[in-house]
Amino acid sequence: MRRRPYTHNPARQLEGYVPSTGLTENTMSKGYNKRGNILRIIVVLSLVLQSVMAQAHHVLGRPSYSLNEDSNTPPSMQVETQIGDYFVTYMVFPAFPKAKEPGRVNMYAARIDDGSSFNGEVTFTVRNNGWLNDFLSNRQEETLGVQLLDDGVYRQGFVFKEDGDYIVSARFESGGEPYIIDFPLRIGAPSAVGPIGITVTILALLLLGINLLKRRELMRAKVHSAQRHHEP
Amino acid sequence: MTMTHPGLPLSWALGVFISMLVLALWSMTVPPPGSHQQHSWPLPGLASLSRWLTATTWPLRLLKLLIVALFLLVIIAGLQGSPIPERNIATVLTWNWWWAGLVFSVFLLGSAWCAVCPWDTLANWLVRLRLPGRQLTAHSLALKVPKALRNLWPALWLFVGLTWLELGVGITASPYATALLALTMVVLTTASLAVFERKAFCRYFCPVGRTIGFYAQLAPIELRPVDTDICARCTTLECYHGTEKVDPCPTHLVMGKLIENTYCVSCGNCTQSCPHQNIAWRPRPLSREALQTARPHWDEAWFMLCLLGLTGFHGVTMLPQWTGWISGLGQQLQDSGQLLLSFSLAMLLATALPILIYALCIGWLRALAKPSRQQPQHMGFKPLFSGCAFVALPLAFAYHLAHNLNHLVRESGASPELLSNPLGLGALPLSMEEIHLRHMNMWISPDWLSALQAGLLLLGFWIALQVIRHRGHRLLGLQRLQLFPLLLFVCATTAYHLWLLMQPMTMRM
Repeated sequence: MRRRPYTHNPARQLEGYVPSTGLTENTMSKGYNKRGNILRIIVVLSLVLQSVMAQAHHVLGRPSYSLNEDSNTPPSMQVETQIGDYFVTYMVFPAFPKAKEPGRVNMYAARIDDGSSFNGEVTFTVRNNGWLNDFLSNRQEETLGVQLLDDGVYRQGFVFKEDGDYIVSARFESGGEPYIIDFPLRIGAPSAVGPIGITVTILALLLLGINLLKRRELMRAKVHSAQRHHEP
Repeated sequence: MTMTHPGLPLSWALGVFISMLVLALWSMTVPPPGSHQQHSWPLPGLASLSRWLTATTWPLRLLKLLIVALFLLVIIAGLQGSPIPERNIATVLTWNWWWAGLVFSVFLLGSAWCAVCPWDTLANWLVRLRLPGRQLTAHSLALKVPKALRNLWPALWLFVGLTWLELGVGITASPYATALLALTMVVLTTASLAVFERKAFCRYFCPVGRTIGFYAQLAPIELRPVDTDICARCTTLECYHGTEKVDPCPTHLVMGKLIENTYCVSCGNCTQSCPHQNIAWRPRPLSREALQTARPHWDEAWFMLCLLGLTGFHGVTMLPQWTGWISGLGQQLQDSGQLLLSFSLAMLLATALPILIYALCIGWLRALAKPSRQQPQHMGFKPLFSGCAFVALPLAFAYHLAHNLNHLVRESGASPELLSNPLGLGALPLSMEEIHLRHMNMWISPDWLSALQAGLLLLGFWIALQVIRHRGHRLLGLQRLQLFPLLLFVCATTAYHLWLLMQPMTMRM
């Protein structure tokens, strides 16, 4: 398999990049724009999983839920993944954040080769998630804050005004290479109406279409039959 | 911390390995099997019971309603319930109980699951708009399936896709994704029923149904004519055409000519439509079809071999070392995130490798096989490839059963909380104590589990040997030494499965 060049490649536009506004009450804000070759990853990899929060049990790239019995911290959602030279773990407290309630993202970035933590600035931003937002060009990005390493972890607080699906991005630069890690964040309970509505609509259209075709077929058969009957 | 199940103890593994060697030597030294056909065992009681069950229809309808209710619960729980997989009935019911238990149901009841499949039931309700009997004014276009799709390639690709979703994307631990998959299957089944004639989805596209169908070749039960003379004299073929009140066979089977369970979906239409009440369930020797009667086809051979590759791959992905391997591969490929590219490549290799080894063995076998009285011409590669692929079936089935047994007995403890709170609303993630308790509270003792796993692996090996002996000698006219490459393939595959079973396995939930 051809090795993808590590530098001087445009970022993979896996989710698009359109800023959105009015998403959060920022705890800290600082603009941080970098261009150039960008390694980015998407933790949620398909449309099917856009609104999903829970995935497999401690498997790379998939969220897991845990209960920390050693401290008073609430249950958390955790994802481990890798990008470039780093293993990245992010944890969301609480595990099921709600609108207008404070939450926190903890990010750990350790080198794969020697396990040392990345020590620098990490910028956290957030935008709306979802393909509809792409079409509506409603993907303004808002900066949550710029954090430094604190006891091996980067901590970023958040408070969302509304329920919804968001993408939180963590950006940092290491060895001259920019890194962008996107991870989905579901605020509030996911909607059940969407999938069921889509299913019902597809089935209704399908069955209606079939019904119309069958009626046309029957009508044609009746007409042919009548014509044959009237032929001398 | 990742919890793992302990693997098969060394003592059991050695027992299996030594037994394997003994059996392999035995098969090379004993005379080839005779040409006698294995017969079914007519049990009048069972035949009457099965006719009553299908003729009466209400027990089956009741069961279908129950399964559909559970299916809808999975959808609702998945969409509305807790995203914590072990707290939500959607994931536990689907992936721990149903998916793991399905293979066991085939072992005992053949393709009985297909008779109560909720996708098919819902599709029927939607398309035909009535519950029982024949829909005289069908709401289906009833088109013939295009010739290009009248094979097993669509089902095979869907099966590969399902495995990719299960192991790569991780839908088994996502209640929401599980519900979406369930809805998708309903849409696919309904679309197929609305467009094509009969049950084209069951016959050509369903990955679960086709897997069940192949495994059902090994099942100790079959649906067949009671008196074959009656079928020989029959000119109306109600089993195939149906009657005014009973649908025709949905998978285009003629009971008088039926020799394999592969495409029977246990709907029972034939038992209702036969005017002579000549169709009934009956027990039979294990794996009779794989040994003798099932006809080889190129697409079926590929399905069986991919089944073998993918069942083994299931085990590989649950090894503790798997994460490290895939991470290393991801680094090589500059992959990131969920490493789906790396996973896909690994899955392709893991599936292709056994097939490649099998193909090499077939090539070797072909080189060893000389024309004989039974086979005056040198056999082509394709007929040999197809004809011998039945060895893959018992090997895949045995490992599938042994692997799933681990999941079933260790991960399926239905806690009172799950039954009383199926959506898992307000439930917290499992504590370490709960995880440990689940790990320790097995349905059966570890010794029994080891015994069953070892027994299953040996059973699969034994059946594979019988397939080599019966098909290799009787059907292909090959001598013992000429079958050595195939024997080597069977031994190597069983040894690999044995090694997999010995490894600690990551808990799914």
